Amino acid sequence: MAPAYPKTRRRPETKIPMPHAKSRLDQRYALLGVALVAPTVLVFLAVIVYPLITAIYLSLFKIFTPTLQGGFVGLSNYTQLLASGEFWKALRVTLTWTVLTLALQIIFGVLAALMLHQNMVFRSLARSLILFPYFVSTVVAVLVWRWLFNDLYGILNHAMIMSGLISRPMDWLGSMPNAMVSIVLVGAWKYFPFVVIAVLARLQSIPDALYEAAKIDGAGPVARFFDVTLPQLRDVLIVVVLLRAIWDFKEFDLIYLLTGGGPVTSTQTLPLMVYAEAFGQNSMGMASAIAVTMMLVMLVFMTVYLWRSSSMEERA
Amino acid sequence: MTKIIHRTMFGSGATRRAFVAGGGAALVAAPFVHANAQGQTTLRWWSPQAAPAQREAYMFQIKTFEEANPSIKIAFEASSDEGYPAQMAAAFASGQVPNVVTHLPSFAVSSYWQNGLLEPFNDVINMIGPQNYFDGANRIYEITPGQFAGTGMGGSAANMMWLRKDLMQEAGIAAAPRTWDELRAAAQKMQKGTIFGAPLPYARNSMTSLIFICFVHGAGGQIFTPDLQVAVESDQFKNALEFYKAMREVCPPGATNYSWGDSLTAFVSGATATGIYTGRVLANVQQQNPKIADAITCAPYPTAAANIPHWTFNDFPSVMIPKAAKDMDASKKFAAHLFRADGYIRQLHAAPGHVLPVLKSVYEMPQYQENAIINKYRAEVQVMAQQSSAGHNLGWESPKHKPNTKAGQIIASHVFAEAVQRYVQNNEPMAAIISDTAKRLDQIMKS
Repeated sequence: MAPAYPKTRRRPETKIPMPHAKSRLDQRYALLGVALVAPTVLVFLAVIVYPLITAIYLSLFKIFTPTLQGGFVGLSNYTQLLASGEFWKALRVTLTWTVLTLALQIIFGVLAALMLHQNMVFRSLARSLILFPYFVSTVVAVLVWRWLFNDLYGILNHAMIMSGLISRPMDWLGSMPNAMVSIVLVGAWKYFPFVVIAVLARLQSIPDALYEAAKIDGAGPVARFFDVTLPQLRDVLIVVVLLRAIWDFKEFDLIYLLTGGGPVTSTQTLPLMVYAEAFGQNSMGMASAIAVTMMLVMLVFMTVYLWRSSSMEERA
Repeated sequence: MTKIIHRTMFGSGATRRAFVAGGGAALVAAPFVHANAQGQTTLRWWSPQAAPAQREAYMFQIKTFEEANPSIKIAFEASSDEGYPAQMAAAFASGQVPNVVTHLPSFAVSSYWQNGLLEPFNDVINMIGPQNYFDGANRIYEITPGQFAGTGMGGSAANMMWLRKDLMQEAGIAAAPRTWDELRAAAQKMQKGTIFGAPLPYARNSMTSLIFICFVHGAGGQIFTPDLQVAVESDQFKNALEFYKAMREVCPPGATNYSWGDSLTAFVSGATATGIYTGRVLANVQQQNPKIADAITCAPYPTAAANIPHWTFNDFPSVMIPKAAKDMDASKKFAAHLFRADGYIRQLHAAPGHVLPVLKSVYEMPQYQENAIINKYRAEVQVMAQQSSAGHNLGWESPKHKPNTKAGQIIASHVFAEAVQRYVQNNEPMAAIISDTAKRLDQIMKS
């Protein structure tokens, strides 16, 4: 006997949309999607892809800047560049400047953030004032610093002479290693507030319970900093270091205005070299080759940054 | 919070919708506003000479031109002595050129002309009146026979030696030094306390390059032969480097970063006993440090030996019009207007002695001569005028030389400033420096 299957109500026929109707809807969605994405893509093409391709294209030519006339030279600009001592020296200077100023920015930034995290009088005012260097225009900041460094009227030399530290004014910007020390210090002063902002935000989100537990375990202020605060800041600091490394690597205005790359070429970084080639020597092709090479170096920083960001997102 | 911002921005009475509607109305109205503005022509005027008094004179010239030409507006934009090569290169490359450019050195004009970037200036010179110029004033701009690349806005004597008579007297120096040895000795004698001997520049910039070129000529040498072959491998070039190095001990420590402004200020403020600059010193001393006004004088810069003639650097401040400039007729009209006596005299008086007139007709006018500073320093102005009229620069080293259309590029490359820094600051061997300099110059000339 065949098993009796319970009677079920017949399921109503589901209406299967006609292929024609489906494709119309899909098309409309697709069009909407394209319309919504198009502005972003267009802007991206205009401000990122086009200049990038143009730079690579120009680097294969010998071009006189004012007329933009010239001939195809293939990879000759690159071979010439890599064979020149000036490029390698500028790369060394760029890396020296980046590493030194970044290290100081991180040290000053973390210290200032820790200080501003404490309960203190006029904390809000102090938090506002410490951001001042970051917000002031580079040109204004450099003018002020040049005045401070001035050998004849600068307060720095005046104070050092008055206190008996030196007998003659020091040449802060025109001789080595003073010039490098000066640009590193001014760079650190100008950009450490960025570190303060990032670190202070993270400090405020560290749970108090962690500090209380550490205190119960007998940890002093130093141990609490190294065992609680620093590990909690690690992720923020990695991102800050990477971002600032990229920005410092391509810094132009501050160094150009302070030393112009001198003495001789002792503080000439790669961006200054690009500028000198493009507008001093009117060699747009060579300038583009340097810029493309710079981009490749920065690509390393960028890759690390993207990898770090994605791993942080995964953990979150 | 959002509400607060909204209220702050739009006020309590206005709504976001009203703001959007207002924006829309503005967008709709924009083309009509533009249409109204279409009848108006705006000309852009660039100059690296933009001290406040000069700007004031420019504004007068602009005002009188706009009054005579109501449909034309002039926008003045300041460039800089160190930055103009980059600014001009970018302007030419982008096609966004100014209509009129003034006060660039003549060698910049010849370089742009050689690359086909300038409009011939003959029309403007004819509007000004060729007969009004000093004889030969435009010779340096006639790079292509019969065609002028620009015209002179004035003349300058950039390497005048400025002296403090009071300090000379204190040091027992009777007369202005004539030779390098005398200058160095005088600077050493006058250097005391916070006063240094001289404000020579040792930076990687155009001033160091230009001053060094003066020293090479002061040693009796030249940078190029008259047919423009590199001529730096010479004893005179070596002597110039030696002299520059020897002067370091009488210059302020920060001279390694000096440009025109710093060097000028050092003398005007009284920080140095001698100076090296144009006649701008006169006006600046009157305004900024009048207590030394009666104690200053100037003389042609010394040379290596008394039998070597003075070589004065005249950058021949110019006027030029880029070929790609829009509204060419109006541009030419405005360029010619800059030489109308009332405005031109004001411009010259903004810094008496700094830019000297190229128009004989203006020089002879009582309005030009009757100026407090020119009256007070008549002897100095006369010396500067003489030196300026016999002056040269790297674009035209001597009357025998061909115009050097690469001079601007050479100065912008800092090749001479680097030679100075390498020898004076880095103590590198002279032979290597001279050999590198020669190679780089040769490369630039062949580029």
